[in-house]
Amino acid sequence: MGDEDAAGAAAARPAPDRLAGLLVAAGRGDADAFEAVYDATAASVHGLALRIVRDPEMAQDVTQEVMVEVWRQAARYRPDLGSPRTWILTIAHRRAVDRVRAEQAHSDRLQRHARPEIDVHDQDALVDTMFRQWQATRVRAGLAGLTPLQREALELTYYKGYTNAQLAQALDIPLGTAKARIRDAIIRLRDMWEVTT
Amino acid sequence: MNDNVHGLLGAYAVDAVTDAERAAFDAHLPGCEDCAAELAGLRDVAAALADAEAVAPPAALRARVLEEVSRTAQLPPDDAEVAPADDLAAAREARHARSGHRWPRFVLAAASVAVLAGVGAFAGVVLTERNAELAMEQDVMMVASAPDAHSMDLDLGTSHLVVSDRMASVVAMGEDCPKPHDGMEYQLWVVMEDGSKHAGPTFMPESDGSFMTMLDDQSMDGVTGFVVTEEPMGGSDEPTGDMVAVVEL
Repeated sequence: MGDEDAAGAAAARPAPDRLAGLLVAAGRGDADAFEAVYDATAASVHGLALRIVRDPEMAQDVTQEVMVEVWRQAARYRPDLGSPRTWILTIAHRRAVDRVRAEQAHSDRLQRHARPEIDVHDQDALVDTMFRQWQATRVRAGLAGLTPLQREALELTYYKGYTNAQLAQALDIPLGTAKARIRDAIIRLRDMWEVTT
Repeated sequence: MNDNVHGLLGAYAVDAVTDAERAAFDAHLPGCEDCAAELAGLRDVAAALADAEAVAPPAALRARVLEEVSRTAQLPPDDAEVAPADDLAAAREARHARSGHRWPRFVLAAASVAVLAGVGAFAGVVLTERNAELAMEQDVMMVASAPDAHSMDLDLGTSHLVVSDRMASVVAMGEDCPKPHDGMEYQLWVVMEDGSKHAGPTFMPESDGSFMTMLDDQSMDGVTGFVVTEEPMGGSDEPTGDMVAVVEL
């Protein structure tokens, strides 16, 4: 079952309806159904955690926390909240971002800085790494279709855990501009994907 | 500067919000069909980004998760009574035993249960067993989710003021708030058309710089803005310290 994951998330991925059924069953305490949910989603959760927190051990910790949280909260999943994958990955993203911010706060204290240290100089390297890592052509194409400013906004928020205020500060732009840029970037991705799929 | 809570939608979808902003948006969401509908689409996009990162975890992790799951109790379906651990951070915002706070007079019962159930159904509830926090959080949610609530930036770290005429209340909350001088605390003032200032609650930021305070039973008729000053402990009847933040309606 772990091997299926290794072969790629897509190969092991049940249809959304089936995954929803499994999640509902898991919510009623069905351990077998939960195992199937794990096998269908753990690679995405783990990959996202790894991408955000960088540290492999910490990424595994986050993955474990997220999957146990999915088990705990499974009975609260409802289809009108979105697809099961989106629901699970929303939990995962938040948990990974919380972890990265806690680490940042910790290192800030060590450095006796009142404000978060924000380094925007590694952008080019970051973009290269991201593009190498991305397996899904749809995502690659979508991100390539963003303006550089939009891409930068998504990189710093979605992948590095910046808040909108930190984004505004790092890029020296007004807060309202920062918020709008994040939203524009996501909407543009959505629109491109709707056209191409 | 007017800054409606709707503006946080994109940032919220990718968790680019502080805990206080998240609490405000969580409270806003159940009452705003537009935001709820658009958020679902934005979250799908965010999930697609995550899917593209898939990396299989070690097989040993699977065993660890299944072992932990086997001894982990599940939450019942939504009853809005139990806080998912994920949302404790947001509830932490409410941890402020403020001297001189008058609890709101408006009755929370039925309305707040409905609001909270909606929030819980969406993203997990911002509640804890700690009753004081719960009460403050409920109050804040009631204000922030009022149909006429609007949010304005407050220049105290990363902070917002949320004002609702209908709830006759104003909430101030935020993070990274600097400490006032020794022996001093912050106080919120209501500025009237004639320039007079009515005393509001005093508040102190937590050690992590977060704070939350609320002024209820405050008609917005004739109110032109709000200011925050530093005052001696216990607050003042008239502002005596420098204005540290100013918000104009």
